[in-house]
Amino acid sequence: MLKPARVILATLLLALGAAFAQTNISIALYPDLDSHLNAVLEQFHAENPDIIVEVRILEHGDHHTALVTNLATGSGAADVVAIDVGFIARFVADGGLVDLNSEPYNAGQYQDIFAEYAWLQASTTDGRLVAMPTDLGPGVMYYRRDRFEQVDANVEDVIADWDSFLEFGRAVTRDTDGDGQIDVYLIADAGDVARAMFRANIAPGDGVFFGADGTPLVTNERFVEAFRVAKAIRDDGLDARIGAWSNEWYEAFKRGTVAVQLSGAWLLGHLQNWMAPETAGLWGASNLPNGIYGSWGGSFYGIPEQSANKDAAWRLIEFLTTNPDIQLAAFDRIGAFPAVTSTYGAPLFDEELAFLDGQQARLLFSEVANNIEGRATHPGDNVAEEIVNSALSQVLDEGRDIEEALAEAQQLIARRTR
Amino acid sequence: MTTSTREANAKAEAVTAVKPDRKFRWYRWQRRFAPYIFVSPFFILFAVFGLFPTLFSIYLSFQAWNPVQGLGSMEWVGIENYQFLLTDPWFWKSLRNTIWLALASGIPQHLLAIPLAFVLVSVVHRSLRHPLTAAYFLPYITSTVAVAIVFNTIFGTQFGVLNWAINGLAEWPLTSWMFSGIRDQMPINWLGRAPYIKPAIAILVSWKYFGFNVVLYSAGLATIPRDYYEAAMMDGATALQRFRHITLPLLRPMMFFAITLTIIGNLQLFDEPFILTNRTGGPSESGLTLAMYLYRTGFEWLDMGTAAAMSWVLFLVIGTSTILHFFISGRRGLERRE
Amino acid sequence: MVKARKNGPGLRPASWLSFLLLLALALLTVFPLYWMFVLATHTRETIFTAPPPFMFGTALERNYEGLLATLPFWRNVWNSVYVASLATITTLFFCSLAGFGFALYEFRGRNVLFGFLIASLTFPQLLNIIPYYLIIDFLGWLDTPRALWFPGMASAFGIFLMRQYIASTISRDLVDAARMDGATEFRIYWSVALPLVRPALATLALLTFIGQWNNFLGPLVILRSRETYTLPLALRSLQGLINTDWGVVILGTALAVVPLLILFFFASRQVIEGLTAGAVKG
Repeated sequence: MLKPARVILATLLLALGAAFAQTNISIALYPDLDSHLNAVLEQFHAENPDIIVEVRILEHGDHHTALVTNLATGSGAADVVAIDVGFIARFVADGGLVDLNSEPYNAGQYQDIFAEYAWLQASTTDGRLVAMPTDLGPGVMYYRRDRFEQVDANVEDVIADWDSFLEFGRAVTRDTDGDGQIDVYLIADAGDVARAMFRANIAPGDGVFFGADGTPLVTNERFVEAFRVAKAIRDDGLDARIGAWSNEWYEAFKRGTVAVQLSGAWLLGHLQNWMAPETAGLWGASNLPNGIYGSWGGSFYGIPEQSANKDAAWRLIEFLTTNPDIQLAAFDRIGAFPAVTSTYGAPLFDEELAFLDGQQARLLFSEVANNIEGRATHPGDNVAEEIVNSALSQVLDEGRDIEEALAEAQQLIARRTR
Repeated sequence: MTTSTREANAKAEAVTAVKPDRKFRWYRWQRRFAPYIFVSPFFILFAVFGLFPTLFSIYLSFQAWNPVQGLGSMEWVGIENYQFLLTDPWFWKSLRNTIWLALASGIPQHLLAIPLAFVLVSVVHRSLRHPLTAAYFLPYITSTVAVAIVFNTIFGTQFGVLNWAINGLAEWPLTSWMFSGIRDQMPINWLGRAPYIKPAIAILVSWKYFGFNVVLYSAGLATIPRDYYEAAMMDGATALQRFRHITLPLLRPMMFFAITLTIIGNLQLFDEPFILTNRTGGPSESGLTLAMYLYRTGFEWLDMGTAAAMSWVLFLVIGTSTILHFFISGRRGLERRE
Repeated sequence: MVKARKNGPGLRPASWLSFLLLLALALLTVFPLYWMFVLATHTRETIFTAPPPFMFGTALERNYEGLLATLPFWRNVWNSVYVASLATITTLFFCSLAGFGFALYEFRGRNVLFGFLIASLTFPQLLNIIPYYLIIDFLGWLDTPRALWFPGMASAFGIFLMRQYIASTISRDLVDAARMDGATEFRIYWSVALPLVRPALATLALLTFIGQWNNFLGPLVILRSRETYTLPLALRSLQGLINTDWGVVILGTALAVVPLLILFFFASRQVIEGLTAGAVKG
């Protein structure tokens, strides 16, 4: 053969060879994880030139419904799947995801760099790890500084305990412009307080809704107290009765109609990016009242058993979860609080956040993340959550008796998770 | 067979007797079996996609089954699923919701459609009849999801058109007397408060289907002979009397048909509540219909056995309602049809 | 002497008032659709203001770009078109064929089979949703368009409609005459009967197309990935996003409704008259 022809042939063969050596994997995400992934994909490909990643996005609810049925039918799932903390327990129990502690992944080698409670959430009682944590939702209280100043309130005093919190509520909920309608409320939804309360102070060994033995425990003191405080807030008219993620809710933030909001740290990203950017500088962040530490949200990445490209999938997961730079990049871009605790010393954390009037809030977030206690998960967790929320709504909206509502919820949960 | 057909057949046989043997046999064969072949697709498809799965779901309703663990993980539980349903507060709640919605959206549909059809057929000039009917029918051809999303904005608490309109009407001197009570409730949180979510769904459903009933009733009215009316007018009957004594009785067959359709359709309401409550079923499950609860049980909680049991209970409810309806108004309705 | 009136029982002086009321009701009925088109040209900021905007805005292009950025929108449109068209074509064929068979033949078991057909009409669709999912899964047809149009190809309602129409339009003599000319049964169906039942075919085609285009529960249960979503599913997935760009969502709904509106504009008489005829005969 002539020389040029040989060169061409060789190049073709090389290209073919490279093509054959390439693996195509898919990753299934919900927003806003995709913005982060698309930004770091180039770097991943530079480090792993033989892996091509296809990104599939579905809205949060659809994503999990599809995942559930894909695992159920054994086909159709992507190679890497994102899982929200609300659903993780179910996959821990139901199966369908690869045990990442096993060979050749040996995720156990990374255990120490992650926040303990997140690691536990994705672990089964017999030592399998079904997914790697990627971000957390440390629970904080965002508050409007101006609303606090107007009634001469000091944040530290207010969050001392629930009584002072309610007292502050009574002071701040009022009609500021004399038109007969209340313009400022303590909080958007009294239910948020209940939810924060019953997710904290959990006895060791228990889960949020289920005891160590697997029976539901929603009639215990923790829930009764949570419901009681929320009811007190509602009865005193201190909450605006606005549903989360509704247009009125967004308006409330824009206008400062609510003085505080209990949420995960990630709310900051939403607030400053699109919900209420014009209110920059008027907010602050603090611990939750009464010294409770709680977690709101968090995401994991897992590999479905049905995947044909598990090794490549694992490389992507390692990249996204164990690489401190990538974790910090996610934090910066989409407000995803890193699950890797060793990143908490990074300069990024010392940054003064303009939206919060220069507060070094990230240090607060990391303090909270380090103090959240691990707790057991149960596959019936998200069903139990729905039922308890329904009971809460009946107590707050329809004045149902707390003990009665919780007793019924207990019954329902027991049946549903038999 | 009639004589002419017999002759025709004889002629055909005579003609075909001349044909070559194989072709003749094929011809005879296809003549004999054609009807069976023609109607078979329905029965085959029905057997595969209708009958067999339905029988399987009866079997399934006596099992506890989570599909994630594969077909083999089915566990026989007897009538436990049914027992569970009968003692499940959410099941009863969704049943109550469904019935309430069926009535609240069904009755206005028909109450509005009958007089409307009457006026359309008898009063309005012919050339206007079709454009008006088409306008009323328009909601029926739209996608439920699309309109439910739009209605989501219409039902908005602070910025929704409906509340804006109610506010306006409450101020307007002509209509304020009707809305005087509403003042304290404003702004109504249609989609966020338990007492209002069901009326919101009912409004959407009525809007969507009343035009369909207008068409049905117009058709029914057109079959009433004019002589009846003319005779009544000669006897001095007023319009109202004519309506009550001629129109309504003769419209019974069509009413029976239309109401049956509404019952069967409304008891299976899914799309509208699903979209308006954003798949949650509304505050404290007040917008949860049986169909939604079935979907949630089967596809969100993967409790297939209970879901199958629920579909059979739903079937019972629909069947009972239809039979009840038949007994109340049906016999006469069916008679007149013939 | 009573004056003979052109229209039925006759209500004289009230007719102008009635017409105005009817017109008002028609406008009220159409308002949500008008509202849909208005909002499609606005952004979230202007949609959620008091008083709401009643006139068209300027954000159409921006919303369109947002729509394409969020969804494979035209792919979804194509999916809807594909499923609805295939459903219509197959339904027309199989239903007219079966209706022909039931109407013009006397064969053993005919009445029993037809009775069975009618009985199946009374089964609520919801009863079948779990089994439907299971059988589709068993066949491996999950997340395919085929699962949507294939099972309903020979719908009982369509067969019923066609049978009624054929029975009242085509006489046995016509069929016999064709037989005498040596035509096969299928040929008779195809060349003799079909052309004569065009109006019923048109009605059935329209109703089937509209029904499949708007079908929500079926696709919700069967389809899993954005690329195979039909329009109703695609729209709903927009609704779920927390940062819902309402202008974009409403534009999507408007675009989803437009094809049917156009269809209805041209074929409204056919649809309504077909339904009317069907209702009376049935």
